Amino acid sequence: MMSLLALRDISKIYGSVKALQNINLTVQRGEWLSIMGPSGSGKTTLMNIIGCMDKASGGTAILDGVDISTLNSQGLTAIRRDKIGLVFQQFHLIPYLTALENVMVAQYYHSMPDEQEAMAALERVGLKERAKHLPSQLSGGEQQRVCIARALINYPMLILADEPTGNLDEANESIVLGLFQQLHREGHTIITVTHDPEVAELTERCIILEHGRIADQRKSRPISGAGAGA
Amino acid sequence: MFWRMLVGALVRQRRRMLMVALTIALGTSLSTAMLNVMLDVGDKVNRELKAYGANITVIPKSASVLKDLYGIEAGPGAAGQYLAEADLGKIKTIFWAHNIVTFAPFLENKTVLGQGGREVTLVGTWFDHSLELPTGEVAETGVRPLKTWWQVEGGWVKDDDPRGAMVGSLLASSAGLRTGDDFEITPPGGAGKERLTIRGIVSSGGSEDEQIFVPLATAQKLAGLPGKVGRIEVSAITTPENDLARRAAQNPKSLSLKDWETWYCTAYVSAIAYQIEEAVAGSRAKPIRQVAESEGVILQKTQLLMLLITVLSLIGSALGISNLLIAGVMERSREIGLLKALGATDGAILWQNLAEAVAAGIAGGGAGYFSGLGFAQVIGRSVFGSAVAVNAMVIPLVAVLVILVILAGSLPAVRMLLSLRPAEVLHGR
Amino acid sequence: MTKYAMFGKLVIHALLRRRSRILVALLAVATGATILSGLITIYYDVPRQMGREFRSYGANLLFIPAGSNQMLLADDLARAGGLLPRDKVIGIAPYLYERVKVNEQPLMAAGTIFKEVRNVSPYWHIRGQWPEKADGIVVGAEVAELLKLELGQKITLAVAHASTEKTLTVEGIVRTGGQEENFVFTDLALLQQLLNKEGQLSIAQASIMATEDELTALSRNVAQNVAGVSPRLVKRVTQSEGQVLGKLQALVYLVTIIILLLTLICAATTMMAVVTERRKEIGLKKALGAENSGIIREFLGEGLVLGGLGGAIGTVLGFFFAQAVSLNVFGRAISFQPFIALVAFVVSIGVSGLACLIPVKIAIDVEPAIVLRGE
Ligand SMILES: Nc1ncnc2c1ncn2[C@@H]1O[C@H](COP(=O)(O)OP(=O)(O)O)[C@@H](O)[C@H]1O
Ligand SMILES: [Mg+2]
Repeated sequence: MMSLLALRDISKIYGSVKALQNINLTVQRGEWLSIMGPSGSGKTTLMNIIGCMDKASGGTAILDGVDISTLNSQGLTAIRRDKIGLVFQQFHLIPYLTALENVMVAQYYHSMPDEQEAMAALERVGLKERAKHLPSQLSGGEQQRVCIARALINYPMLILADEPTGNLDEANESIVLGLFQQLHREGHTIITVTHDPEVAELTERCIILEHGRIADQRKSRPISGAGAGA
Repeated sequence: MFWRMLVGALVRQRRRMLMVALTIALGTSLSTAMLNVMLDVGDKVNRELKAYGANITVIPKSASVLKDLYGIEAGPGAAGQYLAEADLGKIKTIFWAHNIVTFAPFLENKTVLGQGGREVTLVGTWFDHSLELPTGEVAETGVRPLKTWWQVEGGWVKDDDPRGAMVGSLLASSAGLRTGDDFEITPPGGAGKERLTIRGIVSSGGSEDEQIFVPLATAQKLAGLPGKVGRIEVSAITTPENDLARRAAQNPKSLSLKDWETWYCTAYVSAIAYQIEEAVAGSRAKPIRQVAESEGVILQKTQLLMLLITVLSLIGSALGISNLLIAGVMERSREIGLLKALGATDGAILWQNLAEAVAAGIAGGGAGYFSGLGFAQVIGRSVFGSAVAVNAMVIPLVAVLVILVILAGSLPAVRMLLSLRPAEVLHGR
Repeated sequence: MTKYAMFGKLVIHALLRRRSRILVALLAVATGATILSGLITIYYDVPRQMGREFRSYGANLLFIPAGSNQMLLADDLARAGGLLPRDKVIGIAPYLYERVKVNEQPLMAAGTIFKEVRNVSPYWHIRGQWPEKADGIVVGAEVAELLKLELGQKITLAVAHASTEKTLTVEGIVRTGGQEENFVFTDLALLQQLLNKEGQLSIAQASIMATEDELTALSRNVAQNVAGVSPRLVKRVTQSEGQVLGKLQALVYLVTIIILLLTLICAATTMMAVVTERRKEIGLKKALGAENSGIIREFLGEGLVLGGLGGAIGTVLGFFFAQAVSLNVFGRAISFQPFIALVAFVVSIGVSGLACLIPVKIAIDVEPAIVLRGE
């Protein structure tokens, strides 16, 4: 079975800054990968390229059999919409929409808003009672859970989480990590960026970026056979 | 640090600052244009109203009643029945000489058209006469600039053309005369028949349509009144009458010395008439109320209208500018929250914002002022065909306006700043 | 929930839940719309209102006897008057001129209807009052001086070929600076009766709110339909009025254009500022997979709603402003013009829609990664 993601010689250059250099990486379906590395090492840049938010300066990236490095921005938008779920460190919720509506926005752009389904997603992240609250009325952990619900709502093939717990306290962090673990068990493919070795421990594989290169790769724990959903 | 932050904001938020400056420029430009136009509109419209012709008639003091009432022509040599042609130039030497737009002399005679034909009025006048003044200047006078509504078929008579004549349209059609025809007239005395050639037909919709117009010299010769003039019509730019002017019109001598001076040195139609009487010997100058009065009405209405439109546009610019400033502060609420979190006092943040607005205001205001002058000139040139006077008074007016608006525009911002709690702002998104 | 309902929700909530920002934008649009509708209304109304003011110059149409007739018949004049648009006629003043003797002095008398003279020639300056009764007269200032007449004084009026003398009271002394100062004005019916010229007139002056072209058309109509009357335009008044009024209208026109231009740009910049603030939101929506066209549609929807609301408020305020101007300057109310309101409304919507679009168009081409990074 073909891997979900295959990066070959990916590089990204901002003016004179080489944010990424010759990245080679494959991610299997159902895998949970974590990316670590010091600040400025290119983690977000890599996530953006995988998430079709940005284009690489060189190299090829195959996502689910599609060469995304050759797509134009419309094509990228379509892939992003259909296959990717994004979770941000800064949550990025629309301030004037309620938790429920924020989830529905993703449905809206994907296909059809469905209130019941959105509510179910919120229930899953434990926020059923907070569905009608605006982001400013939610705690950071709650906002991040809304974000996760939003990322899940369209059944993405790949969930990308850039420092999802970076802004959270421990209690909320464990709730959020619990959610990811559950998603993983259900067979979702997940890539998380983190600074926390304990988080990396939870994942199957961890790559370490330094100065835009993969400096180290290690298995955190054996890849579970659960390739469900793929 | 204040400066570094200010410079940072100005340079790095160039687009936003540009926008503020642009809005201030627009507001200033609008205010400048409208204020300049408004302050000058009276003068401009006043000149346009000269299209209605004379607003003062000057007649000989003693002849006025007799002649008009009985239609009797006083015999030649009757002293005080006529004005002297030589005095005409003096009209342009009075205190308000610059307000005298133009004037024309008239000398009317009854005469008989053709062989034993009907009696008509023969009017001697200046048609288009460049009058040299004692000051060395040249004044454009005559009926052509004075009676702009005359429609002339054919051509105008030249003032040095002794045989040239213009005939009123009704008279021409009833007597079967056309441009180029010769005709004969006989003065009342019977002696001295004269052949004249029609250069043009005048149509005015008034009594002129039944009259014959000839150069003043010709009429003087025919009437035997060399150097004499029966009446002068003067078109002057005047200030609308007020109470003082009305009291003065009744009797200038009834005013106190101070009032009298004010009156004399204001371009009221009565004051100008009074000064003409002083200048032209043996004359009586009367304001023509039909023109003088109506001018005042139109002028005041126009000025009030422009004033109100100006006020509206000033309010509009003020709202526009303050609105954008508020929007700017809102946009930066996060940045401000952060600054507060870092320990900035409200005062410090306020100064920061104000300084930015002032910097944008100076740049925008300067550009706006000059583009406003441009707009004012566009209006002046295309509507009135002349430049709008640049009024220096506008500069402080607009400056004060912009400063007030910047302060007022920052006021809601200040309230917002003070009520802002950094934790909320930073958390809120 | 349908896609449309969600679209509506996005738009409405973007407006309702961002109250202070939306208020700013609304204020901007409403200010623009107020000025727009106010100025267009004034521009539309000025020629008519000013045209009314220009009637202070007096008669602009004369009715004189047609052909070789010496006299104008009152019946003909009435028929001619019937052909004129009633709401445009300020007044029609008939005059009957005749030589008379006042206190044994030969003078010109004019019989007229004082009520009409007041309307037609508002510039007459009357000392005393306009006569109410038939035995009151108004004398010209020159006549008063010549005959040493004072207000309230009785005079005798006699006509040739008639032995009857009338005793009348001087009720007013008129000053105009023109020929009128040499006349004695009496009641029309009285003079007609004295002269045995019932129903006859010398001339009639009409003051009509109309342009030169309209007057020409009116007078042609009268000349064709009423044989005994020959209408003539007073060119001095009609032509000059056309000229000055044209300038005034051009003035208001240009002023309106410039104010509108600047105000609308001003409103647009504020709208733009408010939208630019939402770059991040645009980036996020793109990250969630929104098509460019979808985002544009949402912002456009917001802009249109804002424009509609602000436009409606501004249109109403603008009308009140124009009303205030008209009442203050001309002392007359104006009627609501649905067409102008519609234009102002539509332009407000258009401008705010456009003002929303521009910053969105700029923001939308930026990759979401750049918008979302940092902070
Ligand atoms: N839009 C950009 N313009 C210029 N430089 C950028 C941009 N985005 C990222 N970089 C640079 O690329 C490098 C990697 O950044 P990033 O991927 O955000 O690091 P991190 O690992 O902290 O997420 C940094 O040196 C950063 O300065
Ligand atoms: Mg990062």
